[in-house]
Parts: sequence; C-alpha cells; structure tokens
Amino acid sequence: MKLTIYHLYPDLLDLYGDRGNVLALAARCRWREIDVDIRRVSLGDPLDFSESDILVLGGGSDREQSILVEDLSSRGTELTDAIEDGLVLLTICGGYQLLGQYYQTGEGKKIPGLGILDLYTVAGDKRLIGNVIVEMKQELKRAISSNYSQISNQNSSQEFDTLVGFENHSGKTYLGPNLKPLGKVLRGYGNNGEDGMEGVRYKNVYGTYLHGPFLPKNPHITDLLIGLALQRRGNVSKMPHLVNNMEIAAHKAIITRFANR
Amino acid sequence: MKVYFWLALWSGKIVSLIMKVLGKRGTTFPGVIACKIYPEIIKFLALSFKEGTVIITGTNGKTTTNNLLASILDTAGLKVAFNREGANMLTGITGALLQNTSFSGKGKGDILLLEVDEATVPGLCAQLTPRLAVVTNFFRDQLDRYGELDTTVNLVKEALPSDTELILNADDPLVAQIGAGKTAVYYYGVQSLPSSKEESDETREGRYCAICGQELFYTLFHYGQLGIYKCNFCDFKRPDSYIEAVEIVQGEQGISFWVGEEYSIPLIGSYNLYNALAAFCAADRLGISRENIRLGLVKFVSDAGRMERFSLLGYDLTLTLVKNPTGFNQVIQTLAEIDKPLHLLIAINDLAADGRDISWLWDVDFEILAAKQDDIRQLLCSGLRAEDMALRLKYAGFAEDKIVIEHSLPKAVERFGRYPGIDRDAAFILPTYTVLFPLRDILVAKRTSDTEVKGESI
Repeated sequence: MKLTIYHLYPDLLDLYGDRGNVLALAARCRWREIDVDIRRVSLGDPLDFSESDILVLGGGSDREQSILVEDLSSRGTELTDAIEDGLVLLTICGGYQLLGQYYQTGEGKKIPGLGILDLYTVAGDKRLIGNVIVEMKQELKRAISSNYSQISNQNSSQEFDTLVGFENHSGKTYLGPNLKPLGKVLRGYGNNGEDGMEGVRYKNVYGTYLHGPFLPKNPHITDLLIGLALQRRGNVSKMPHLVNNMEIAAHKAIITRFANR
Repeated sequence: MKVYFWLALWSGKIVSLIMKVLGKRGTTFPGVIACKIYPEIIKFLALSFKEGTVIITGTNGKTTTNNLLASILDTAGLKVAFNREGANMLTGITGALLQNTSFSGKGKGDILLLEVDEATVPGLCAQLTPRLAVVTNFFRDQLDRYGELDTTVNLVKEALPSDTELILNADDPLVAQIGAGKTAVYYYGVQSLPSSKEESDETREGRYCAICGQELFYTLFHYGQLGIYKCNFCDFKRPDSYIEAVEIVQGEQGISFWVGEEYSIPLIGSYNLYNALAAFCAADRLGISRENIRLGLVKFVSDAGRMERFSLLGYDLTLTLVKNPTGFNQVIQTLAEIDKPLHLLIAINDLAADGRDISWLWDVDFEILAAKQDDIRQLLCSGLRAEDMALRLKYAGFAEDKIVIEHSLPKAVERFGRYPGIDRDAAFILPTYTVLFPLRDILVAKRTSDTEVKGESI
C-alpha cells in the first residue's frame, strides 16, 4: 500500500508551521506500514492530480498568495475534476480562502479565487487571533468513527468530539447554503466570528482556519484523511488504531486551558 | 507641558524605587506610568545623551548585538546607557531611560543604546532621530502580534528617518532592501561561513526580490534566507559590505575572523558572528578605533540566556533562550556537533512575550536531534506548552518513552540533575522567553561555587 501526498507550494505557503500537517500524515501512514511518497510541488512544477492521493495547501502572506493563484488557476479544471472524483484535499487558512469564489479586499476589490467551492471571503478590519476549540458536526463524527476498524478502546482517536488549533486571519469567510462547516466554535472566532461556524467540508475536501498545526493535535482528522485516500484507491479495510497518548494529552491541554474562557 | 514632563519623570522614578525596595524585577511598569502622564517623555529624556542614540532592531540578535556594542563602547571609555532585553517596547524603553536619568533630568551616560522591538520602531522614531540604526535580520517571529513578515519589514523601512545612518546586514535580502536607494548606509556581512551550502531546504521566507517580486537567485546559502543572492530580473543584489569578515573559524570556545586583522568573540554559533559584525560596523561608524573594537569583542560577557553556563552541584549546564525557528535551528546545529551524550530540558510557554502561537515549533528541525537519539540520555519537556513540545518530538521521530513531560519547573530541574552520569555529559536547558527568568532563578539558587550572578560565556 502506498499513498502519494502532494505538498503544494511549500516554499511559498509555509507560515505557522503548517508543514506539521504533512509530517503528521506521513508519520501516521508510516506507523501503519503504509508507504508514503511526499512530493513538494512549487510554481510551474508539473502536477498530475491523477497520481495524487492527498493534497495539502497551507497559507502564506498576501504577496505570495497572489503569485500562486495565477499558477493554480491554470490547473483549475483538472483540480475540480479530481475533487469530484474524491481527491482528498486539506486546505488551511489562505489555502482554504483560495478554494472560494473570491476574496474581497478592504477597498472592495474582488480578487477571484479558484471558484471550486461556493464560499467567499471578505477582508475584515481586525485580525482574528487565538486558540480555537470546535465541536465537530455529527456527520463528521460519524465519518471518523466509521473510519476505524474496531469499536473504541481506550486512548483511541475515536474519543474526540472536538477540534483544536490556533487561528490567525483577517479574512472572514462565508459558506454558501449547500456547504457544511466542520463544526461549531466553542472558543475563538472560526470562519468569520459571526455565525459561530468553523471550516468547510465538501466531498473529501477539508478547509479550516486552524493552524497549530492542525493535524498533529487532531489525529482523528489525520486518520480520516488517510482513510478516505485509501478508500479512493479501492482499499476497503478499515484503519487500525494507534497509540495516541501524546496526541490526546496535547488536545486535552488546549481544552483544559482555554474552554470557558 | 513642562510640568507634566517633570511629573512623569519623578513619578516614574519613584515607582521604580518602590519596586526596587519591594524586590520586584522590571522596568516596564514605571515606564507605563511615565508614558501615561507624558506620552512624549522619550523625546526629552533621550536629548540629554550627548553622543546620541543608537537603535538596534530586527528579529534575532538584538540583545547580543546591543551588549556587544556596549562592551566595545565601554572599552573605548564611553559611558553607556541601555535597555535590558525584553524591555524593548515604548514603555520598557521609557522605564530604562528613567533608570538612566537623574531626578534633575540629566542622562547618566554619554550614549544611549536601545534594542527596539520591530513594531515599536515607528513609535520611537516619531519621538527621536537615532544617530545610527542597526538592523540585524528578519525572521518569522511572533507573527500573531504583527500579522506577517512583509508588514514588519515595511513598518521598519518606512519609519527610519532619512537623517539616520543605517547599519544593515548585507546577507539578509529582507534587511538589505531597506538600504536600496539610500546613501548613508553601511553594510556588514560574510562571503562564506564554514557551514554555507549551495543548496538549502530550510523554510524560505524572504527569498523573493523585494523590488520586483521574482524569486532570488542564490550562489550560496549561509542560513535561513541569508546568503549571496541576486535578482535576475532587476538590479537588486547582495550589496558590497563595508565590514566583511573572512577566514572564519568556529571553535568550541568561540569564533575568530578577519576584517583586515584578526578578531575573536567568546561566543559560538554563526548568528553570534553576525551580531559581532553588526556591533563592529556600528562602533566603526561611531568613530571607535579598531583596537578598542577588538578588545571590546574579546572581553564580552554573555548575558542571561545566551549560552550561559552554570556550575551546579555535581554538573555543569548551559542555558540558552529559544524563541523562533531560526534561532532554535542554530542551537540544534550546535547540539548536533557536540561529541558527548546529551541531556535536554525544553521549556515552552505561550504568553504574550513568547508569542501566543507555538506552531513555529513545527518549523524547527528536531529531526536532526531525533537522528542521534541514542546519544540523548534525557529529553524533558516543561512549560505551559509541554504537551505540544512532546508531541512535536514524537513526530520528529523520537521514541515515545524517551520523552518526559514535567510541568513544574523546579521538579523538572531536580529530575534533570539527578540523572546518573550527567556530570560527564553535556546538559542544556532551552527555555522560551517567559520561562527563562524563572528557570534562571532556580539555577542561580542551586549554583555551587561563586555567589556572583554573572554568566560565564562558552
């Protein structure tokens, strides 16, 4: 068994330790004896979506982001087709915004996004910064539990009801009526600081404002992404659990310190 | 208006006296009081230093550069007033100035050296025009406070007054671009370090031309985005440097280099060479002789948390501040070259002065340490973010049972020192900023021989 992870524009979108997401995916594959091939794809590099199992797209500074919209747009149709075909895609912050229709600047200028999902982002006048705790939607929880091979034993990733991370954005993102968020914000701002929602989930596409990085402290999501990628390759066997003491400790530490504050 | 100035000065000084009597550390609070009463107090306090003000800003190396320059100026017979590490925002700077000003409003010194937080440069330069401004480097640090690196660089660039002479790092394109189109600019740098490479896979913030936005072309990488670079699309390139070090030799006790003649510093790590060159260049522009520069660098005593060595009961350890990926990577590089078993205590906090977001730990190459984990006897994690640190180490490839979490600092230090054989090995404690001083207090209390609170540099 082998999975190919494409790390998109790691040289441009490398803010806030998001490379930790790729490290987490790779490590949890390795610990399950799944081979991983990590490919760093940068501006103008050849990119064949049909070879890719998981795509990771992080956030960057404004300047760097505008460089890559151009580059990605030229690959937009293939990406849309791959997503419809079940390609697993994790997008963080700027990468998440990029999936949408547009980003409206403070001056009211609309910078087009990739237009893959029915969401848009409006520049806000303050930066939304801090630790975030999100209560996952039921559907997401169900997807997670059906990803594993056996019923929860202790210290398994199935125990999680929440997502934790650190947000740092000024853009406020609004989802179209047919899109589902990852969950409800218990602490922090989330998508826009107004509707109490955080992230987006569409087919196998996941978008979130959570850094931290996101995946290491949310191993249930890491496992879900790996599981979905395996299923897409026709592998129907479920995922075995791993020992998660440290992941759980780090996740719980955030909840203990920051919930109800 | 004048009344408020005196009121601010005296209130500030009285508050700091009271704090001193109560045994409290800190210069910021008196500064807060004085700034509240008279917001422009810095402008007037700074005027009384006859040789003017030198500011030092940038992400890493502000404190060490400031202290190296102070050591040189002191050698040259100047009386130096400066702010302590961390007290580098307006209130902290005011606090430091209050300490260095008499009740009659006279500055206790010839020259004022200020390390200034990047985001504070505009506020400070609105009040005074520095004689020199030294910019060390720009790395990702505390992004949660400033937004993004580009914003920080532009903030500093636009705030520096045109009458201020600039001392800039030639090898960091983010710093060097500040001097583009200006005349009173003096660059420092190196042609090559022993560790310079033709390829680099480190995170590459700032490797894009600030003038035209294209990717920069490097013939040599020193570390991070520092190196020999040029833009193939416009005429931006690494500027020729005014002070350029060659024949750099890095030993266990320090670094030697040539700038016309041989110099040495009792500090290790390439980043400290840059700090020395920045201080060298600034001292030269202040008219200090080469002989005084040489002596000032040699007799430098490192400050709290800068590879500070402690002799404790039965073993020695080194305390080193870590605060961002670049700095931490350099410490790891130094650790990887040590030919002895290692004991490590890493203490990570996420308070305002540390940066609330600790995701930067994932940009640090702990994988280098994990590759030599058989030589690592102890790996303790402490601080408010001990769990995050532990998790990072697990994903770097450390065996889980090797990693120990101990939230209590005294207990962590106790456990650390009890390990059999630690006296024959190399022991390092790596804290972020807000853990540094509590840890230092614990270590000072445990110190065996001398009672002097003075760090011995290695």
